[in-house]
Amino acid sequence: MMNEERRAFIRKSGLGILACLGAASGLIPKFSLEKTILPAWDEKPVPGKIRWGMLIDTRKCTEGCKECIAQCHHVHNVPDFNNRKEEVKWIWKSSYNKVFPTASQQFQSEKIAGRSYLALCNHCAESPCTRVCPTEATFRRWDGIVAMDYHRCIGCRFCMAACPYGSRSFNWQDPRTAIKDPSIAYPTREQGVVEKCNFCSDRLVKGLLPACVEACPQQVMTFGDLNDPKSDIRRLIENNETMQRKPELGTKPSVFYII
Amino acid sequence: MGRKMMSRKKPMIFLGLTLVLFASLYAFLQDSMAEKPSQQPAKNLHQPVLVDSTKCIATKEFMRANHMRVLNEWRNSSVREGDRIFVAPNGSKLEKSLNTCLGCHKNNKLFCFNCHMYANVKPKCWNCHISAMESP
Repeated sequence: MMNEERRAFIRKSGLGILACLGAASGLIPKFSLEKTILPAWDEKPVPGKIRWGMLIDTRKCTEGCKECIAQCHHVHNVPDFNNRKEEVKWIWKSSYNKVFPTASQQFQSEKIAGRSYLALCNHCAESPCTRVCPTEATFRRWDGIVAMDYHRCIGCRFCMAACPYGSRSFNWQDPRTAIKDPSIAYPTREQGVVEKCNFCSDRLVKGLLPACVEACPQQVMTFGDLNDPKSDIRRLIENNETMQRKPELGTKPSVFYII
Repeated sequence: MGRKMMSRKKPMIFLGLTLVLFASLYAFLQDSMAEKPSQQPAKNLHQPVLVDSTKCIATKEFMRANHMRVLNEWRNSSVREGDRIFVAPNGSKLEKSLNTCLGCHKNNKLFCFNCHMYANVKPKCWNCHISAMESP
Protein backbone atom coordinates (compact mmCIF):
# COMPACT_ATOMS: atom_id res chain seq x y z
CA MET A 1 0.00 0.00 0.00
CA MET A 2 2.74 2.38 0.98
CA ASN A 3 4.77 1.40 -2.09
CA GLU A 4 1.88 2.12 -4.41
CA GLU A 5 1.49 5.63 -2.96
CA ARG A 6 5.15 6.40 -3.39
CA ARG A 7 5.08 5.27 -7.02
CA ALA A 8 2.06 7.47 -7.73
CA PHE A 9 3.86 10.41 -6.13
CA ILE A 10 7.00 9.86 -8.22
CA ARG A 11 4.95 9.46 -11.38
CA LYS A 12 3.03 12.67 -10.74
CA SER A 13 6.07 14.71 -9.81
CA GLY A 14 7.82 13.45 -12.96
CA LEU A 15 4.91 14.63 -15.08
CA GLY A 16 5.00 17.92 -13.23
CA ILE A 17 8.70 18.43 -14.03
CA LEU A 18 8.07 17.66 -17.70
CA ALA A 19 5.23 20.16 -17.82
CA CYS A 20 7.39 22.80 -16.15
CA LEU A 21 10.23 22.30 -18.67
CA GLY A 22 7.80 22.48 -21.58
CA ALA A 23 6.33 25.69 -20.27
CA ALA A 24 9.77 27.16 -19.55
CA SER A 25 11.05 26.54 -23.09
CA GLY A 26 8.05 28.47 -24.39
CA LEU A 27 8.23 31.22 -21.81
CA ILE A 28 11.97 32.03 -21.96
CA PRO A 29 12.10 35.08 -24.21
CA LYS A 30 13.43 34.15 -27.61
CA PHE A 31 15.52 37.27 -28.13
CA SER A 32 17.85 36.21 -25.36
CA LEU A 33 18.74 33.08 -27.30
CA GLU A 34 18.50 34.01 -30.96
CA LYS A 35 21.58 35.20 -32.79
CA THR A 36 21.42 38.60 -34.39
CA ILE A 37 21.21 38.41 -38.15
CA LEU A 38 23.34 41.13 -39.65
CA PRO A 39 22.46 42.34 -43.12
CA ALA A 40 25.13 41.45 -45.65
CA TRP A 41 25.26 45.00 -46.96
CA ASP A 42 23.73 47.82 -45.00
CA GLU A 43 23.08 50.84 -47.13
CA LYS A 44 24.04 53.31 -44.42
CA PRO A 45 27.51 52.51 -43.11
CA VAL A 46 28.07 51.85 -39.42
CA PRO A 47 30.44 54.48 -38.02
CA GLY A 48 33.71 53.00 -36.80
CA LYS A 49 33.18 49.54 -38.27
CA ILE A 50 35.87 49.95 -40.90
CA ARG A 51 39.13 51.82 -40.48
CA TRP A 52 41.02 52.07 -43.73
CA GLY A 53 44.76 51.94 -43.46
CA MET A 54 47.86 51.63 -45.58
CA LEU A 55 51.13 49.81 -45.14
CA ILE A 56 54.12 51.05 -47.14
CA ASP A 57 56.92 48.54 -47.56
CA THR A 58 59.76 50.98 -48.17
CA ARG A 59 62.22 48.14 -48.85
CA LYS A 60 60.49 47.50 -52.17
CA CYS A 61 60.10 51.18 -53.17
CA THR A 62 62.34 52.09 -56.12
CA GLU A 63 64.46 55.20 -55.70
CA GLY A 64 63.43 57.86 -58.19
CA CYS A 65 60.17 56.17 -59.21
CA LYS A 66 57.22 58.55 -59.12
CA GLU A 67 54.48 56.43 -60.67
CA CYS A 68 52.15 56.63 -57.67
CA ILE A 69 52.58 60.39 -57.33
CA ALA A 70 51.91 60.99 -61.03
CA GLN A 71 48.84 58.75 -61.05
CA CYS A 72 47.35 60.24 -57.87
CA HIS A 73 47.91 63.81 -58.99
CA HIS A 74 46.45 63.08 -62.41
CA VAL A 75 43.34 61.29 -61.08
CA HIS A 76 42.57 64.03 -58.57
CA ASN A 77 43.49 67.06 -60.67
CA VAL A 78 46.24 68.20 -58.31
CA PRO A 79 47.83 71.38 -59.71
CA ASP A 80 51.56 71.76 -60.27
CA PHE A 81 52.69 75.38 -60.03
CA ASN A 82 56.37 74.48 -60.40
CA ASN A 83 57.07 76.57 -57.34
CA ARG A 84 58.00 75.19 -53.89
CA LYS A 85 56.22 78.01 -52.11
CA GLU A 86 52.87 77.29 -53.74
CA GLU A 87 53.32 73.55 -53.99
CA VAL A 88 50.15 71.46 -53.74
CA LYS A 89 50.71 67.80 -52.93
CA TRP A 90 48.64 64.78 -51.95
CA ILE A 91 51.43 62.20 -51.95
CA TRP A 92 55.12 62.93 -52.14
CA LYS A 93 58.60 61.60 -51.46
CA SER A 94 60.90 63.00 -48.84
CA SER A 95 64.10 62.13 -47.01
CA TYR A 96 64.26 59.87 -43.95
CA ASN A 97 64.98 62.78 -41.61
CA LYS A 98 61.97 64.71 -42.84
CA VAL A 99 59.51 61.82 -42.84
CA PHE A 100 60.69 60.32 -39.54
CA PRO A 101 62.29 63.25 -37.69
CA THR A 102 61.65 61.69 -34.29
CA ALA A 103 62.52 58.09 -35.10
CA SER A 104 64.11 56.46 -32.08
CA GLN A 105 66.87 54.73 -34.05
CA GLN A 106 69.81 57.04 -33.42
CA PHE A 107 72.57 55.82 -35.70
CA GLN A 108 70.54 54.68 -38.65
CA SER A 109 72.49 53.00 -41.42
CA GLU A 110 73.48 55.11 -44.40
CA LYS A 111 71.46 52.85 -46.67
CA ILE A 112 68.21 53.47 -44.81
CA ALA A 113 68.77 57.14 -43.96
CA GLY A 114 69.75 57.89 -47.54
CA ARG A 115 66.58 56.60 -49.16
CA SER A 116 63.52 58.72 -49.84
CA TYR A 117 60.18 57.78 -48.32
CA LEU A 118 56.60 58.12 -49.45
CA ALA A 119 54.45 60.44 -47.39
CA LEU A 120 50.76 61.18 -47.56
CA CYS A 121 47.93 62.11 -45.24
CA ASN A 122 48.00 59.64 -42.33
CA HIS A 123 44.22 59.67 -41.80
CA CYS A 124 44.88 59.74 -38.07
CA ALA A 125 42.46 58.16 -35.64
CA GLU A 126 43.02 61.18 -33.40
CA SER A 127 43.30 63.77 -36.14
CA PRO A 128 44.30 67.23 -34.94
CA CYS A 129 43.19 68.89 -38.19
CA THR A 130 39.54 67.96 -37.74
CA ARG A 131 39.56 69.33 -34.21
CA VAL A 132 40.66 72.80 -35.21
CA CYS A 133 38.52 73.22 -38.32
CA PRO A 134 36.01 75.96 -37.44
CA THR A 135 33.50 75.01 -40.14
CA GLU A 136 33.77 71.22 -39.97
CA ALA A 137 34.94 71.31 -43.56
CA THR A 138 37.38 68.56 -42.65
CA PHE A 139 36.03 65.69 -40.62
CA ARG A 140 36.64 62.04 -39.79
CA ARG A 141 34.39 59.81 -41.81
CA TRP A 142 32.59 56.65 -40.67
CA ASP A 143 35.39 54.56 -42.22
CA GLY A 144 38.33 56.40 -40.64
CA ILE A 145 39.12 58.57 -43.64
CA VAL A 146 39.84 62.20 -42.82
CA ALA A 147 37.79 63.83 -45.55
CA MET A 148 37.46 67.36 -46.86
CA ASP A 149 34.25 69.07 -47.87
CA TYR A 150 35.67 71.79 -50.09
CA HIS A 151 32.29 73.53 -50.19
CA ARG A 152 32.68 74.45 -46.56
CA CYS A 153 36.39 75.33 -46.49
CA ILE A 154 36.93 79.03 -45.81
CA GLY A 155 40.69 78.84 -46.23
CA CYS A 156 41.63 79.75 -42.67
CA ARG A 157 44.49 77.19 -42.75
CA PHE A 158 44.09 76.19 -39.08
CA CYS A 159 44.23 72.58 -40.25
CA MET A 160 47.55 73.19 -41.98
CA ALA A 161 48.96 74.54 -38.73
CA ALA A 162 47.54 71.63 -36.77
CA CYS A 163 48.75 68.83 -39.07
CA PRO A 164 52.14 67.61 -37.80
CA TYR A 165 52.90 65.90 -41.11
CA GLY A 166 52.56 68.73 -43.61
CA SER A 167 49.92 66.76 -45.46
CA ARG A 168 47.80 69.77 -46.34
CA SER A 169 48.34 72.29 -49.09
CA PHE A 170 46.73 75.63 -49.74
CA ASN A 171 45.60 76.88 -53.13
CA TRP A 172 47.16 80.31 -53.29
CA GLN A 173 46.12 80.63 -56.92
CA ASP A 174 43.37 79.24 -59.10
CA PRO A 175 44.52 75.63 -59.49
CA ARG A 176 42.78 75.15 -62.83
CA THR A 177 45.52 77.02 -64.64
CA ALA A 178 48.16 74.60 -63.34
CA ILE A 179 46.56 71.25 -64.18
CA LYS A 180 48.40 69.87 -67.16
CA ASP A 181 46.51 66.64 -67.73
CA PRO A 182 43.04 67.04 -66.21
CA SER A 183 40.76 64.08 -65.58
CA ILE A 184 37.09 64.93 -66.06
CA ALA A 185 35.94 62.25 -63.65
CA TYR A 186 36.97 64.27 -60.58
CA PRO A 187 36.44 67.93 -59.69
CA THR A 188 39.23 70.43 -59.19
CA ARG A 189 39.53 72.79 -56.26
CA GLU A 190 39.32 76.57 -56.33
CA GLN A 191 41.50 79.36 -55.08
CA GLY A 192 41.47 79.75 -51.30
CA VAL A 193 40.77 76.20 -50.15
CA VAL A 194 42.99 73.65 -48.46
CA GLU A 195 43.36 70.25 -50.09
CA LYS A 196 44.88 66.90 -49.25
CA CYS A 197 44.83 63.15 -49.91
CA ASN A 198 41.34 61.67 -49.58
CA PHE A 199 42.52 58.00 -49.39
CA CYS A 200 40.75 57.68 -52.75
CA SER A 201 37.28 57.71 -51.20
CA ASP A 202 36.09 58.48 -54.74
CA ARG A 203 37.53 55.17 -55.94
CA LEU A 204 36.55 53.14 -52.86
CA VAL A 205 32.85 53.77 -53.51
CA LYS A 206 33.35 52.22 -56.93
CA GLY A 207 35.03 49.19 -55.36
CA LEU A 208 38.48 50.17 -56.60
CA LEU A 209 41.74 50.36 -54.66
CA PRO A 210 43.45 53.74 -54.23
CA ALA A 211 45.16 55.07 -57.34
CA CYS A 212 48.66 55.01 -55.79
CA VAL A 213 48.27 51.39 -54.67
CA GLU A 214 47.22 50.38 -58.16
CA ALA A 215 49.86 52.45 -59.94
CA CYS A 216 52.86 51.11 -58.01
CA PRO A 217 54.85 48.69 -60.18
CA GLN A 218 56.45 47.07 -57.09
CA GLN A 219 53.27 46.64 -55.01
CA VAL A 220 54.86 48.64 -52.24
CA MET A 221 51.55 49.65 -50.70
CA THR A 222 48.95 47.43 -49.04
CA PHE A 223 45.54 48.92 -48.46
CA GLY A 224 42.97 47.40 -46.15
CA ASP A 225 40.73 47.50 -43.12
CA LEU A 226 42.72 47.93 -39.89
CA ASN A 227 39.68 46.85 -37.86
CA ASP A 228 39.55 43.46 -39.56
CA PRO A 229 41.99 41.08 -37.82
CA LYS A 230 42.01 38.80 -40.87
CA SER A 231 42.90 41.48 -43.44
CA ASP A 232 46.20 41.41 -45.33
CA ILE A 233 47.31 44.68 -43.82
CA ARG A 234 46.77 43.46 -40.26
CA ARG A 235 48.63 40.24 -40.99
CA LEU A 236 51.57 42.21 -42.42
CA ILE A 237 51.62 44.62 -39.47
CA GLU A 238 51.61 41.71 -37.05
CA ASN A 239 54.40 39.84 -38.85
CA ASN A 240 56.72 42.78 -39.51
CA GLU A 241 58.30 45.53 -37.52
CA THR A 242 56.48 48.66 -38.57
CA MET A 243 56.76 52.37 -37.93
CA GLN A 244 54.33 55.27 -37.93
CA ARG A 245 55.22 58.90 -38.41
CA LYS A 246 55.68 60.79 -35.12
CA PRO A 247 53.79 58.20 -33.05
CA GLU A 248 54.64 60.07 -29.83
CA LEU A 249 52.13 62.80 -30.73
CA GLY A 250 49.27 60.39 -30.14
CA THR A 251 47.58 61.07 -33.46
CA LYS A 252 47.37 57.32 -34.20
CA PRO A 253 48.20 57.42 -37.91
CA SER A 254 46.60 54.85 -40.20
CA VAL A 255 49.65 54.74 -42.47
CA PHE A 256 52.32 52.24 -41.44
CA TYR A 257 55.85 51.80 -42.75
CA ILE A 258 58.18 48.82 -43.00
CA ILE A 259 61.69 50.23 -43.01
CA MET B 1 7.48 -9.61 -7.84
CA GLY B 2 9.02 -6.15 -7.28
CA ARG B 3 12.13 -7.00 -9.36
CA LYS B 4 9.97 -8.26 -12.24
CA MET B 5 8.02 -4.97 -12.23
CA MET B 6 11.28 -2.98 -12.38
CA SER B 7 12.60 -4.84 -15.44
CA ARG B 8 9.28 -4.29 -17.21
CA LYS B 9 9.32 -0.53 -16.41
CA LYS B 10 12.96 0.03 -17.45
CA PRO B 11 12.23 1.11 -21.07
CA MET B 12 9.56 3.47 -19.76
CA ILE B 13 12.08 5.10 -17.41
CA PHE B 14 14.59 5.63 -20.19
CA LEU B 15 11.89 7.01 -22.45
CA GLY B 16 10.97 9.46 -19.72
CA LEU B 17 14.60 10.46 -19.25
CA THR B 18 15.11 11.13 -22.98
CA LEU B 19 11.92 13.19 -22.97
CA VAL B 20 13.24 15.27 -20.07
CA LEU B 21 16.60 15.66 -21.83
CA PHE B 22 14.97 16.75 -25.09
CA ALA B 23 12.67 19.18 -23.31
CA SER B 24 15.55 20.80 -21.46
CA LEU B 25 17.64 21.06 -24.64
CA TYR B 26 14.74 22.32 -26.76
CA ALA B 27 15.39 25.98 -26.03
CA PHE B 28 19.09 25.69 -26.91
CA LEU B 29 18.41 23.70 -30.09
CA GLN B 30 16.56 26.67 -31.50
CA ASP B 31 19.57 28.83 -30.84
CA SER B 32 22.00 26.55 -32.66
CA MET B 33 19.63 26.19 -35.60
CA ALA B 34 19.20 29.96 -35.97
CA GLU B 35 20.56 31.58 -39.12
CA LYS B 36 24.22 32.44 -38.82
CA PRO B 37 25.29 36.06 -39.28
CA SER B 38 26.23 36.46 -42.91
CA GLN B 39 29.89 36.75 -43.73
CA GLN B 40 31.30 40.09 -44.81
CA PRO B 41 32.58 40.42 -48.35
CA ALA B 42 36.22 39.44 -48.44
CA LYS B 43 37.56 42.70 -49.80
CA ASN B 44 35.35 44.80 -47.57
CA LEU B 45 35.27 47.52 -50.19
CA HIS B 46 32.04 49.27 -50.97
CA GLN B 47 29.91 47.74 -53.63
CA PRO B 48 29.09 50.08 -56.48
CA VAL B 49 25.50 51.24 -56.36
CA LEU B 50 23.35 50.32 -59.31
CA VAL B 51 22.07 53.54 -60.76
CA ASP B 52 18.89 53.75 -62.73
CA SER B 53 19.20 57.17 -64.30
CA THR B 54 16.59 56.74 -66.98
CA LYS B 55 13.89 58.57 -65.06
CA CYS B 56 13.66 62.00 -63.52
CA ILE B 57 13.89 62.02 -59.74
CA ALA B 58 10.97 64.45 -59.33
CA THR B 59 8.64 66.59 -61.38
CA LYS B 60 9.95 69.39 -63.55
CA GLU B 61 8.17 72.02 -61.46
CA PHE B 62 9.60 70.71 -58.20
CA MET B 63 13.14 70.50 -59.58
CA ARG B 64 12.97 74.00 -61.06
CA ALA B 65 12.27 75.42 -57.62
CA ASN B 66 14.27 73.02 -55.45
CA HIS B 67 17.21 71.53 -57.35
CA MET B 68 19.68 73.46 -55.21
CA ARG B 69 18.12 72.11 -52.03
CA VAL B 70 18.20 68.58 -53.40
CA LEU B 71 21.87 68.99 -54.27
CA ASN B 72 22.68 70.36 -50.82
CA GLU B 73 20.86 67.53 -49.09
CA TRP B 74 22.49 64.94 -51.30
CA ARG B 75 25.94 66.30 -50.61
CA ASN B 76 25.51 66.47 -46.86
CA SER B 77 23.99 63.02 -46.44
CA SER B 78 26.30 61.23 -48.86
CA VAL B 79 29.57 62.95 -47.97
CA ARG B 80 29.07 63.11 -44.22
CA GLU B 81 26.93 60.08 -43.39
CA GLY B 82 27.72 57.84 -46.32
CA ASP B 83 24.03 57.50 -47.15
CA ARG B 84 24.62 57.37 -50.87
CA ILE B 85 21.40 55.95 -52.25
CA PHE B 86 18.42 58.10 -53.08
CA VAL B 87 15.11 56.33 -53.60
CA ALA B 88 12.94 58.33 -55.97
CA PRO B 89 9.15 58.45 -55.44
CA ASN B 90 8.75 56.00 -58.34
CA GLY B 91 11.02 53.48 -56.57
CA SER B 92 14.11 53.80 -58.73
CA LYS B 93 17.39 53.99 -56.86
CA LEU B 94 19.92 56.68 -57.68
CA GLU B 95 23.37 57.53 -56.46
CA LYS B 96 23.45 60.86 -54.67
CA SER B 97 25.95 62.58 -56.91
CA LEU B 98 26.10 65.54 -59.23
CA ASN B 99 27.24 63.04 -61.83
CA THR B 100 23.84 61.32 -61.61
CA CYS B 101 22.20 64.56 -62.71
CA LEU B 102 24.77 65.17 -65.40
CA GLY B 103 24.35 61.62 -66.63
CA CYS B 104 21.23 62.77 -68.46
CA HIS B 105 21.33 66.53 -68.41
CA LYS B 106 24.78 66.67 -69.98
CA ASN B 107 23.02 66.00 -73.28
CA ASN B 108 22.13 69.65 -73.36
CA LYS B 109 25.37 71.49 -72.77
CA LEU B 110 23.53 74.69 -71.94
CA PHE B 111 21.08 73.04 -69.56
CA CYS B 112 22.40 74.79 -66.44
CA PHE B 113 23.82 77.90 -68.02
CA ASN B 114 20.80 79.13 -70.01
CA CYS B 115 18.52 79.28 -67.04
CA HIS B 116 21.11 80.64 -64.59
CA MET B 117 21.97 83.35 -67.07
CA TYR B 118 18.31 84.23 -67.55
CA ALA B 119 17.72 84.33 -63.79
CA ASN B 120 21.01 86.16 -63.25
CA VAL B 121 22.24 83.78 -60.57
CA LYS B 122 25.90 82.84 -60.33
CA PRO B 123 26.29 79.56 -58.48
CA LYS B 124 29.87 78.44 -57.79
CA CYS B 125 29.39 74.82 -58.84
CA TRP B 126 31.62 75.03 -61.87
CA ASN B 127 34.52 76.64 -60.03
CA CYS B 128 35.46 73.08 -59.12
CA HIS B 129 33.08 70.61 -60.77
CA ILE B 130 33.66 70.03 -64.45
CA SER B 131 30.65 71.29 -66.36
CA ALA B 132 29.17 69.89 -69.54
CA MET B 133 30.69 72.83 -71.40
CA GLU B 134 34.21 71.80 -70.41
CA SER B 135 33.91 68.05 -70.80
CA PRO B 136 33.93 66.47 -74.24
